[in-house]
Amino acid sequence: MAGDLFNLAYQFLVNVSFLMLAAMGLIIVLGMLNIINLAHGEFIMMGAYTATLSVHAGVPFVVAVVLATIVVGMIGAIVELLIVRRFYANKLNALVATFGLSLILSQGTLLLFGPYLRGVSMPLGGFRVGQFSYATYLLVVAGLAFVLIFALWLLFYRTRLGVDMRATMQNPDMARALGVNTSRIYTFSFALGAALAGLTGALYAPTTTIVPLFGTAFIAPAFITVVIGGGANPLIGALASSSLLSVVSTPLSSQYGTFAGRIGLMLAALVIMRFLPDGLSYYLQAALLRRRKARPESSR
Amino acid sequence: MSSPDHAVVSTGRLAQSPHNVFQRLGIDGPLTIFGGPIYWSLFALILIAVVLFPLYGSTFAALNFTNFLINAPVALGLALLWGYCGVLSFGQVAFFGIAGYAYGVMAINWGLGLGTLLAAAGALGLTSLVAAAFGYFLFYGRVSSWIIPVLTLVLTLVLETFLGQTAGLEWRIGQAQLGGFNGMTNIPSLTLGSLTFNGYSLPLFYLVVALIAVILIGLRVLANSHFGHVVMAIQEDAERTELLGYDIRRYQLVVFTIAGFLAGLSGVLYATWGNFIQPSSVGLLAATLPVLWVAIGGRRSLSSVLIGTIALSALSDALAVYSGDLAFVVMGALLLFGMMAAPDGIVITILRSLAKLLVRRPL
Amino acid sequence: MSLLALKGVYRSFGGITAADGIDLTLEAGERRCLIGPNGAGKSTVFKLIMGLLRPDSGSISFAGHEITHEQPFRRVQRGLSMKYQTTRIFPSLTLAQNMFIARSRAGDATALASWAIDKLGLGALRERRAGELSYGQQHWLEMCMALGNGPRVVLMDEPTAGMTPEESRSTATFIRELEGRGIAAIVIEHDMGFVRDLDAPTTVLHQGRVFRQGRMAEIEVDPEVQRIYLGEIHD
Repeated sequence: MAGDLFNLAYQFLVNVSFLMLAAMGLIIVLGMLNIINLAHGEFIMMGAYTATLSVHAGVPFVVAVVLATIVVGMIGAIVELLIVRRFYANKLNALVATFGLSLILSQGTLLLFGPYLRGVSMPLGGFRVGQFSYATYLLVVAGLAFVLIFALWLLFYRTRLGVDMRATMQNPDMARALGVNTSRIYTFSFALGAALAGLTGALYAPTTTIVPLFGTAFIAPAFITVVIGGGANPLIGALASSSLLSVVSTPLSSQYGTFAGRIGLMLAALVIMRFLPDGLSYYLQAALLRRRKARPESSR
Repeated sequence: MSSPDHAVVSTGRLAQSPHNVFQRLGIDGPLTIFGGPIYWSLFALILIAVVLFPLYGSTFAALNFTNFLINAPVALGLALLWGYCGVLSFGQVAFFGIAGYAYGVMAINWGLGLGTLLAAAGALGLTSLVAAAFGYFLFYGRVSSWIIPVLTLVLTLVLETFLGQTAGLEWRIGQAQLGGFNGMTNIPSLTLGSLTFNGYSLPLFYLVVALIAVILIGLRVLANSHFGHVVMAIQEDAERTELLGYDIRRYQLVVFTIAGFLAGLSGVLYATWGNFIQPSSVGLLAATLPVLWVAIGGRRSLSSVLIGTIALSALSDALAVYSGDLAFVVMGALLLFGMMAAPDGIVITILRSLAKLLVRRPL
Repeated sequence: MSLLALKGVYRSFGGITAADGIDLTLEAGERRCLIGPNGAGKSTVFKLIMGLLRPDSGSISFAGHEITHEQPFRRVQRGLSMKYQTTRIFPSLTLAQNMFIARSRAGDATALASWAIDKLGLGALRERRAGELSYGQQHWLEMCMALGNGPRVVLMDEPTAGMTPEESRSTATFIRELEGRGIAAIVIEHDMGFVRDLDAPTTVLHQGRVFRQGRMAEIEVDPEVQRIYLGEIHD
């Protein structure tokens, strides 16, 4: 019984961290720039490829992960400067353009590196609880996901850059009038979103095969998480959304397999959308604001 | 100041008196960009040329061409949905796949002749139902406009995942094996009496040409009707249109269902043409294709989309002979640079310039 | 029973209370002006009546029906109509097409819309693209569109903003004639000359609450009202 409980808890943690990592970059870009980057899956893939190729070249895994994050972040900055910023006026065209970009990136990778890359083995081994054995690495990744959320919170709420970012997100004209370099903020935000995607790809590289369509497994869950979370408050949105969705999908996938979990995710998303069309973060933020208004002594 | 002409608002037809026979028929109008005598002359000429093609060209070429033509219904449906209603759906291939698989399942189980006809009708009916159900969640939830493309893409991905893992023998409906990644094979072609509509003989070619002509004209009539005007108004300013008393959700749902139906039509035609259907028809790469065709064709013009779809299908077919992956990189590049250089669409921009040269009248 | 009635309507956004217990009634065919300093909540009231916003509490009724939770299009079909503050016509379509779209239900609205178009001098422009009309003409087109369904109540949000004095006078005449046709109207305005021209019962909003109601002549000289405007009443 305790073993089954641990099993469920482990799966839940793994699912939540997976969704958070997969969606975090996407949510930040959505919140700041108001676009969905359909090349997000390819950024994840490039993180996996960079990490894998680095490890094969002899680089230690941890360094490879950091390298992947930085490299993909830089690619993101370039993409923003060359492509994305032309579409701020027309979000739907931005979607289509990033769709085209994702095609170029995934099929280009296929042309350059072939259909399959030799993988990386999962570090840290495993442990047993009851009748099940578990991978330690996935727990580490889960822990990292929460550390990441904390680091992002520090960035958004405890740094000058974070204040500038939040200001730009809420009122770009006003921020500009106050001297914030909004176009640099946009570039940085998109690069940050790409870097997070790269990080996700690198972290999950040891868990599966390295193929050009590596990102596909991430994007459907990531999109659903983002759609439910909404762009109003990226951190709250990512946390609330991944938790809520994992509550639905974990029991389903452990009983009936990954596909059932996915279907459950999508159906949950459709239902939640019907009743909370502005995203979880919008309603949670409104509730928080109401609470704060009732307690006038708190302030930031 | 009063004006002698009081016929500003009429009881349901277009306000101004129709200038010519095309407008009276409804096939021309303010909401279809290209029209008039020149357009319809060209239309007739091209139609005749295409119909007579097997006589002066080769049957083989005509059959190959059929493959490109089959892409037209799904593209035209997306043009209606995106160009007129302003709803970008990445999920049209999902309805393509549902219809293809449904036709396969029903045709395999119900056999030749009347069975295939029932299968086609059943597949189209089922697809329309699924489209309407999905559309209900999208539009009656009043979700933000960026969510719709994302959710339709998710639908496609989930469907592909599902179909991909149906390899086991237990995945069968009646006599039909779903077949996992390899897909469903041995799907009987649609047969009507002595006519078999498959990829080896001409009846399918003529059927598809006829269908495309009917769809194009039908969509033009729809676009220029009061319904079409409201749909266009919804794209321009949804809230304003609602405040004029329209239930915009209902209009969006109807258009979405029509687009789903047309995508399903392409799916059924594909299944009868190739006698197979596979998950890759529903996958991420396949999902880019309708968007590609409509974006590069020019979503505001049905004719441009038709031309663009056929041209791009032919292009990727030619490229695929050289390298299948290169084809997709080229398509992706076309899409990206098309959006940057000619966001209205490449074909439509070309046609507009040509029309300006020919006609010397602003369009 | 009033045609339109708001009772105790509250609506807040985050920390701002835009509507703070509003009570308002309108009789059939009545003409009413709604004034107040910026941020008083006037546009919010219109949005609440049309259903673009839902109240946090309170009720709205129209012709005896509770419409507080109805969708906007249902309210329009019942006979409510709004003219936006900024023109939201369809610029790429002609004037005639705009009017064509503006009629969502059958009925004898044809006569009303035709009269409106003629009265405002737009009859000769029906083939012109709406985007090419002058600013004032676009506002008039918008007004005609708001009448397209033969409504019983028209809400007009600053109909003369940006208009020339002659255009404002034509607009005032036009709105006065609506009463003769049995159409009630609530007009939000800042132009006090125009408000005086309309000669209608006036409601003053301040900080989301009804501050004063009465005839413009009394309100104009009310020192409290002048104070809340902080000198915005000129000439």
